[in-house]
Amino acid sequence: MSSSDTVIRARNLGKAYQLYANRSEWSKQVLFGAFHTYYRSFWALKDVTFEVKRGESVALIGRNGCGKSTLLQVICGILRPTRGELWVRGRIAPVLALGSTFDLESTGRENVMIGGAVLGMRRPEVLAKFDSIVDFAGVGEFIDQPIKHYSTGMRARLAFALCAHLEADILIVDEALAVGDAAFQRKCMDWIEGFREHGTLLFVSHAKADVMRLCRRAIWIDDGRIREDGKPVEVVRSYARAMETEPDDMKRFTAV
Amino acid sequence: MLHIVDGEVVVTEKRRALTRLLRWFGEPMRSAWHHRDLIMAILRRELNERFKGSMAGWVWAIVAPFLALATYTIAFSGVVKLPNQVEATSQFDYALFIFGGLIAYSFFSEMAFRGPSLLHEYAHFIKQTMFPAEMLPIISTLRATVYVLIGLVVMLAAQIALTGTIHWTLILLPLWLVPFLAFLIGMTWFLSALGAFTRDAAYLMMTLAPILMFATPVFWSIDGFSPTVRLLMYLNPLTGFIEIIRHLTVLGTLPRLPVVAWTLMLSLVSFYFGFWFFRRQRDRIADVI
Repeated sequence: MSSSDTVIRARNLGKAYQLYANRSEWSKQVLFGAFHTYYRSFWALKDVTFEVKRGESVALIGRNGCGKSTLLQVICGILRPTRGELWVRGRIAPVLALGSTFDLESTGRENVMIGGAVLGMRRPEVLAKFDSIVDFAGVGEFIDQPIKHYSTGMRARLAFALCAHLEADILIVDEALAVGDAAFQRKCMDWIEGFREHGTLLFVSHAKADVMRLCRRAIWIDDGRIREDGKPVEVVRSYARAMETEPDDMKRFTAV
Repeated sequence: MLHIVDGEVVVTEKRRALTRLLRWFGEPMRSAWHHRDLIMAILRRELNERFKGSMAGWVWAIVAPFLALATYTIAFSGVVKLPNQVEATSQFDYALFIFGGLIAYSFFSEMAFRGPSLLHEYAHFIKQTMFPAEMLPIISTLRATVYVLIGLVVMLAAQIALTGTIHWTLILLPLWLVPFLAFLIGMTWFLSALGAFTRDAAYLMMTLAPILMFATPVFWSIDGFSPTVRLLMYLNPLTGFIEIIRHLTVLGTLPRLPVVAWTLMLSLVSFYFGFWFFRRQRDRIADVI
């Protein structure tokens, strides 16, 4: 095993999605998968190797569909990598696509209880922190309203507040923060800065300023591979240059 | 801690084959215990929604089985011989006899109808978070259990009110319920995993369930048939469950031991096969839902 302060280690990580011509191929795969393969593979992640140490804050940048989200989902344990080795230690708070995980028909309160349980909190823990969560989110009396009456921003607030109270070791922040208003974004940024003192941060954003402010390291992912890994200033600069010179490759969403 | 190599979760400690096997059999229970807060949180929400949305939520849940029971009582009040050739001790026995079977059957059909679309209902959970999808069939089965228990209570209350007797064998009812739950959870694991990939699973169950109702001794008893046909009847897992609940509630006798053993075995097979199947498809489900 690697040194004690490594929290994430990925070696030759690959994730293939199975693409099916139609739904019946799907069911055939489920029933007769042992005898025949009915799908084509799309490798969203091809070969990713990196290590993150405790207390590091790492930005992931890259074009749409380069594999950033897949990588994050794999690290969270939502998706299982097809090949390669992954080793993650500690409690993860995935602020992935904030608010989209909520059940629309349930109230904010019910969603906090369910979401807290999904993230691994025990019921007394959630109950003890409940007021603080509502406070942080600033949704007030709306907490007893169904989530479908929330604005996108309010959902994001509640989701972030929940993740902020998880006492996680690793915080994974997706682009979703962008839906909050400026005041809430500042609140989150301040909180994340405080979090970095004891925890590990993985941050995905297209906002260069945030990347520079929060992260000491940046990883540029291109076409399912790591293209550059280093100081944010340099990686962001070469990424920006590549975006100007390299045309948008329309063929990259094709299966092999 | 998460450690995966080539798509397989790595278990660091070395275990012997027997220990691994025992762990595998204990896995569903361990997993459910681990996620107990989640199960309760969702269950509480579902029941709240069911009973809070309407003003007289609990009343409806009680009125429905009560009306059914009243209908059967009126329709069959003159029959003196129960379908299993036993003399009826009162004019209400026939209704209770049918109702017992119907409770078991409607529990089954609720799960059979809901199973295939279950994961679609909760797609938002499965997609984004580290949601343990294998808990959903457990949750929905527990939810249906609440209605079954209401039905049972209505039936027993009616039995006391109408016939004035109640049998001591009732204390064995948990021994009926637990295997039945295991059977249904296993079935729902299988159906929901299948239903995640194809709508055909839902249509298939919609076609099969009503037919199965007539192949199941809900309105009749298998005692009227020849031994060969009877054996064939037991291939239908519901036959055993219905027979046992009738013995325990209406007839007040102990069920036949081979029937109990066979039913128990079917429950175990269903439970572990469903679990195995769901686990196998788990990752593909997250990809497609």
